Parts: sequence; structure tokens; C-alpha cells
Amino acid sequence: MIDLAQSIVDGVLFGTTYAVIGIGFTLIFGVMHKINMSFAAASIAGAYSGLLVFLLWKTAPPIVVFATSAALAGLIGYAIYLLCFRFIPIASPLATLMSTVGMLLLVDEIIVHLTAGMPLSYPAIYDGYPIELGQLILRVDLLLVFLVCLVAMAVLLYLLYRTRLGIATRAVAQQPVAAQLCGIRLTQVNAITFVMTGTLGGIAGAMIGASVGVLSPLLSLPLTVKGLIVTVIGGLGSIPGAIVAGLLVGAFENVFQMWRGVTERDMYVMLLLFAFLVFRPGGLFRIAGARD
Amino acid sequence: MLDVRDVVTAYGKIEALKGVTLSVAEGRITCLLGPNGAGKTTLMYSIAGILKPRRGRIALKDREITGRAPDQVVQAGVALVPENRLVFPQMSVRENLTAGAYLRRDRAGIAADMERMFQRFPRLKEREGQLAGTLSGGEQQMLSVARALMSRPRLLLMDEPSLGLAPLVVEEIFRIVTELNRDGTTIFLVEQNAHMALKVAHHFYLMEQGRVSFSGTPGEVEEAEVIQRAYLGSRRAD
Ligand SMILES: Nc1ncnc2c1ncn2[C@@H]1O[C@H](COP(=O)(O)OP(=O)(O)OP(=O)(O)O)[C@@H](O)[C@H]1O
Ligand SMILES: [Mg+2]
Repeated sequence: MIDLAQSIVDGVLFGTTYAVIGIGFTLIFGVMHKINMSFAAASIAGAYSGLLVFLLWKTAPPIVVFATSAALAGLIGYAIYLLCFRFIPIASPLATLMSTVGMLLLVDEIIVHLTAGMPLSYPAIYDGYPIELGQLILRVDLLLVFLVCLVAMAVLLYLLYRTRLGIATRAVAQQPVAAQLCGIRLTQVNAITFVMTGTLGGIAGAMIGASVGVLSPLLSLPLTVKGLIVTVIGGLGSIPGAIVAGLLVGAFENVFQMWRGVTERDMYVMLLLFAFLVFRPGGLFRIAGARD
Repeated sequence: MLDVRDVVTAYGKIEALKGVTLSVAEGRITCLLGPNGAGKTTLMYSIAGILKPRRGRIALKDREITGRAPDQVVQAGVALVPENRLVFPQMSVRENLTAGAYLRRDRAGIAADMERMFQRFPRLKEREGQLAGTLSGGEQQMLSVARALMSRPRLLLMDEPSLGLAPLVVEEIFRIVTELNRDGTTIFLVEQNAHMALKVAHHFYLMEQGRVSFSGTPGEVEEAEVIQRAYLGSRRAD
């Protein structure tokens, strides 16, 4: 029983990284009405690129690596916007699906090529002792990952709901023609959305790297699948949905990891996806408030 | 104020506007009539910069705005109340109005205008924090008009603002149109409801199959055989 509680706690803490990745997928979908399949791979690539700091500064503290990961991931997000969306006919639903799947494979290839396919170690966020709460053990590194992701989500929500940029972003997502009539430029909002979600993804990637301790090209495909699962469970386009679903998927996979082992756990996560698609295809939260 | 000359706008190979020429006089209410599919909305979107004309010229007070991006057209002082209102459904009434003032930077002026909108549309004031998607059709239309006004346009384009609204609400919309015009805003209105339009507009155009087929004053409209048949029903007794 205590094992179960322990798994759930660890899973929920780590699940915030899935929540952040899910928000990225959902936000791009909300604004572009297109899925960016390369998002999770780009987030891992962002985490990798933070390691470039060590070329200039051999003893850089972890926080500098994390910040560089986030910043370069924003840049990668912008590049993906230019390559996969800006000049691709948006009217064709398949075109951007193809371009972003292509980008997912390209990003992975580049990582494999540059690292010779070997995992690289990534700085830990904390390497002291865990906190003991009765029988529960609280991993401080996971707690910090949780807090960092929480702050990242809070900043995003602030930007979306309390700023002029947020008004523009939501306007474009909800009614692009009217947004233009208000003087909002679509291409500008689209580009900013990619930079914003890219940065967010880089933070998640960095936190994943920091809690696992290594980065490997093998991370990106499962993360893509989990990000998509989170968006399905949360409801495509719903940010609160993505947050709750992220924590749920985190807990779920950790519980199955305890019961069935790390090699089997992802199979059960997939089954969760099918269960949702069949029984609750709109996700946990259906978007309320729309009349039609 | 607005000059449209020989404008051709096409969707792919199909030309929806086949050379439209008309002008809107400053300080007046000009009304565009026309059957479904005539190209009225296409013309509005061509002026607002949502659609790019293939040929022709659109000028605002001698300043050419043909093919300009929508934000530049708004900056030039033109706002469109689009067909079907197109409010932002998941944003509050207040946020919709804030979006309407997107290109303005004068915070005090925006706040003052917001209050003015709430005075002009008291129903919106009561629903300030409500999501626009949950408003009634009439309220959404008021919001759409107020949102357009938040950019402080000199020329207000309105595409069928009375569409699908109850007679009382239509009356209210037209009362507001007259008020706005009296306060100095030039208005170019698309309307199917010719009876209502005759009460407020100073000049009329009729558009059919992508061309302007009639231009005249309210008096001439009442005389014109084509308009009689299509828009005013049988000749009225009075
Ligand atoms: N997005 C589009 N793609 C292709 N054709 C279009 C498109 N929008 C409009 N059309 C065509 O262009 C023509 C003019 O349409 P438009 O919407 O401008 O007419 P309208 O006068 O506004 O009609 P209504 O009174 O029904 O609003 C129609 O034949 C219509 O089918
Ligand atoms: Mg129309």
C-alpha cells in the first residue's frame, strides 16, 4: 500500500513534465488548428542544446544549462514554425502533418548523428538526500522538477490571460478572421506561439533530463506519444485538461512501472489512450461556454 | 471617403467580384443591397484586407489601401462588423472589447471608450464578465459593433447586422447606426432589410452577380422596378 502511494506521489511530481508537453501540443493546436508532431522531439533537442554551454564554460552550474536549454528550445520552435508551417499550404490538412512528422524524424536523426547515438549525462537539479515523511520518501529532485514546471505553467497562464499578447493569442485561436479585423497579425501570433511553446518544451525537456540524469535519443518517441495521450485525455485545446491529464498519466505510468516493470508500463499507457478514445473521446473536460 | 474602382476578387478561378465600382460619401450612411451570393461579403472582406483583390483600386480619402494587410486597414481608420458577428466565444465581453482596441496604445482613452460602449450598450455592461459565446444573438451583434468601434474608426463597415434578429433588436441596431452616424462616423452598410435601410441610409447601391447594377437615392430606390420586386414586395399603398 505504501508502495502504491509512493509510486503515485513520484508519478504525479514527474507528471508535471507531461502536463507541460501536453500544454505545448494543445496550445499549438489551439492557435494553428494543426498538430505539431515534432514538438516533443524538439523539446528533447532543446534539452540537448543546453549542453552546448559546457563548450564555453566547463563548470557551468545546472541552472545555466537549464536556462540555455529553454532559450535554445524557443529558437528551435521558431525554426520549426518557419520550416513546417509558414510556407506550407495551411488549407491542406495533411501537409503540416507530413512536414512535422518529417521534422520529428529529422530532429532525432540530427541528435543521433551528433551524439553517435550515445546517451549524454545531463546535470541533476539536486543531488542531496531525500526527505522522509513518515513512511513516504519525497525525492527532492522530483519536487523541484514539479515546482519548476508549475512556475512555467503559471507564467504561461499569466501571459495568456493577463496580457495583450494573451488576448491576441486567444483571439487568433477562437476566431482568426475577427482577430485580423481587430488588427492582430496572424503570422506574428503564430510565430510567437511557437517560440513560447518551444521554450516551455525546453523547460520540460531539461526537467526530464535532470531527473533521469541522462539524455538519450530514445526519449523523444515515448515523450511524443505521451504528449499526444495527455492532449487526448485532457481534450484537444484545453489547458486545464492538459494539466490534469499530465499528472494522471504520470501517476498511471509509475504505478504500472511498479507492478509490471519499466519495459511493460508504456503498453498500459497506450491502453489508457484507447479507453479514452472509446469512452470519452472529448477528453476529461469538454470545452464549456461555446453556444454552437 | 471610400472609393472602390473596378475591383475584381476571386476565389480560385471563380470571380466573385467582376469589376465593382462605387463610392461612399463622408459623413453619410451608404447601403449595399443584393441577393444571396451577389458578392457583398466578398466586397467587405476585400476592403478590410482579409481578401486580396486581383485587380482594381480601393482608396480611403485618396490614400490607396488596395491589398493592404488588415491591420494596416484598421490603422487607416476602417473597421468591419463582420457577417455572423464573429465574436470571440471563449472571451468575456470586456476582453472582446479590449481585443477591438488592439492597435491602440492610449490606455486612458481605451478605458474611457470602454465606458462609453457600456453606456451605449447597457446590456453589455450587465454581462461584462460573461463569455461572449453565451450571449444571445442580439447581444453578440451589439458586442460585435462595440468591438469594431473600439478601434475608433472613421469608416464603419457593417455586413448584415440585422441578420436573424428579432424586429425589436433590428430597430435598436438601426437606431445605433443613426446615432453613430450623427456623431460623425461614416457608415457603409450591407443590408437585406430594405424597408429598414430606407429609413436611415442616404445612398443605395444594388449588387447582382458581382457587379453594381443600380445606384441611387432613397427616392430613386422606391421608384426602381428591380428593387421593388426583390426587396420591397408589392408596391405599398402609402
Ligand atoms: N470561401 C469561398 N470560396 C469559394 N467561393 C466563395 C467563398 N466565399 C464566397 N464564395 C462565392 O462567392 C460568391 C459571393 O459570395 P458572398 O459571400 O460575397 O455573397 P453575399 O452577397 O455576401 O451573399 P449573402 O447575402 O448570402 O451573404 C458566391 O457565389 C459564393 O458562393
Ligand atoms: Mg454576405
